[in-house]
Amino acid sequence: MFRKALLALPVALALGATAHAEKAPEEVLQGLIDSIDSRYLTQSEMNIMMMPDNPALWVGIDGEELFHAARGPNNVSMEACDFGKGPGVLEGAYVEMPRYFEDTGKVMDLETRIMHCMTEVQGFAADDPAVTQRHGSGSDHMKLQTYIAMQSNAMEWNNPLDHPLEKAMRDAGEVLFARRAGMSDFNCYACHGQSGKQVRASVLPDANVPEDWTKAISWPAFRVGHDNVRSSQHRVRGCYYQMRQPGMLAGSDASIALISYWTDMARGQPAILPDMKR
Amino acid sequence: MFKKTSLAAGVAAFATILFAGGCAFAEADKSGQVDYTAMTPHELAEYLIFEANDGGGFNLAQEMQEGGTARDRMQQDELQKACSIIGDGKPDEETMAAIRTAAQESIVYPEGGIQLGNWERGRELAWSGFGYRVGHNYDDHNVREVGGTCYNCHQFATDRTGGNVGPVLTGYGKMRGTSEPILKYVYDMIYNPHVYFPCTHMPRFGSSGFLDKESIADIMAYMFDPESPVNE
Ligand code: HEC
Ligand code: HEC
Repeated sequence: MFRKALLALPVALALGATAHAEKAPEEVLQGLIDSIDSRYLTQSEMNIMMMPDNPALWVGIDGEELFHAARGPNNVSMEACDFGKGPGVLEGAYVEMPRYFEDTGKVMDLETRIMHCMTEVQGFAADDPAVTQRHGSGSDHMKLQTYIAMQSNAMEWNNPLDHPLEKAMRDAGEVLFARRAGMSDFNCYACHGQSGKQVRASVLPDANVPEDWTKAISWPAFRVGHDNVRSSQHRVRGCYYQMRQPGMLAGSDASIALISYWTDMARGQPAILPDMKR
Repeated sequence: MFKKTSLAAGVAAFATILFAGGCAFAEADKSGQVDYTAMTPHELAEYLIFEANDGGGFNLAQEMQEGGTARDRMQQDELQKACSIIGDGKPDEETMAAIRTAAQESIVYPEGGIQLGNWERGRELAWSGFGYRVGHNYDDHNVREVGGTCYNCHQFATDRTGGNVGPVLTGYGKMRGTSEPILKYVYDMIYNPHVYFPCTHMPRFGSSGFLDKESIADIMAYMFDPESPVNE
């Protein structure tokens, strides 16, 4: 990892064209730390130090190449895909997702939109590993997600709620967040409803504090404990697992509703992309 | 008097709207699409869990350790419904009182009174986070015994780091003694804490079947036994 440190600066320069390059992810985090007193934001000095060498930056570089490569049976690049701001426009696209897409008539998050693009634009079969393999730094998904998300670094979360479906999904997500079920009666507030709470040694983000919550939802992030870059959908799965509730299906409308709500909870706060987590 | 009646009636009415043949709101429009915007947020949330995406937004077919499937586990009981409040507030006084009463009624006491078990086993159970997790990494209860996850939320003996979602329980027995009322209080808290704290975030380890009587006795020994490191 340290070997790569020397290259971190050129990486940042290469990937960032404008706004998102002006502030490195660690500077965005520092800004949040300076603005409020939060045990969650400050809990890992080590991670803050390592952020300039975040392995996720390399996953993002791979993603850049993949994004621009002509692929799939149709031999086209992802530049033909619309992530909400027009074909190929990535700057600021991710902080405005999930959003409603006219072409599918659905609210989609980044992960489902990438799948849509792979199958509908590039022509991959739905069961192609490029489409189905969602986890791990080596997966196409994580490379693409990281690259696309990085084009929103330092920008404010602002998922649109103008379309009635966007609003409906956000509101259902709020209900899901509060919904208790299962062997432990947990809802999300059980662990994310108060500041400075710890589950064992981990300090948890408070969903009511947008400065905490923007870091909480800043995925993709390199998870040091997993030695892999992880997605929002992976985090959702992890929390339902701890809640003793069944696995939420990645890309299900339920997962997108939940992510619509959690993005709304961070509205106006700058995204840290890519982030580094425990 | 627990809104058991009214809550239950509400539930039934809700279920009727949601699942009865015809499905008022879930009716597909001409394009075959279900109109999410015609539902209330609660209706939509239930629909997304149990119906959307051809069979629900969760892996509902998986078999659960307690029997039944994930679909059953995702169904809310009355307490879970009453305590699912947006913003994490509390229900009205009447509902809170009803929750307390129902919680009290759910508690089954051991024959011959509350006894303390083996603190050493209790120490491991209080620490262990194993049990009842499902999904991608299913907890097989034949391989390991179910723990109490207590350390997730509480600090006990300081040789291990606990969470602080709940209060610090270090030195508990030493400070409170082992009188009958205090033993009953802790037994109740473990069995069904809604007796004292309606809509608490602490799980109902007894009423839910999460922990059996022996495990509860052992965990209580860990909290009360003078030999236990909790009371050093
Ligand atoms: C039983 C406690 C618990 C519950 C309930 C819970 N979480 Fe979490 N959550 C955690 C823990 C612990 C972490 C941090 C993981 C770590 O540090 O290893 C976490 C992390 C997160 C994060 C990322 C923050 C980070 O720094 O890793 C998000 C976002 C999140 N949870 C959302 C949710 C949502 C949404 C729900 C409800 C569906 C939920 N959580 C329910 C315990 C919980
Ligand atoms: C999800 C977090 C959580 C878990 C897991 C948990 N508790 Fe608690 N516990 C709490 C909270 C929160 C309270 C305080 C009650 C309240 O305000 O809701 C509490 C209160 C208590 C109290 C009452 C303390 C007092 O003196 O009033 C005892 C005893 C207790 N817990 C024991 C346990 C034991 C034993 C376990 C494991 C079997 C456990 N708890 C697991 C959250 C938790």
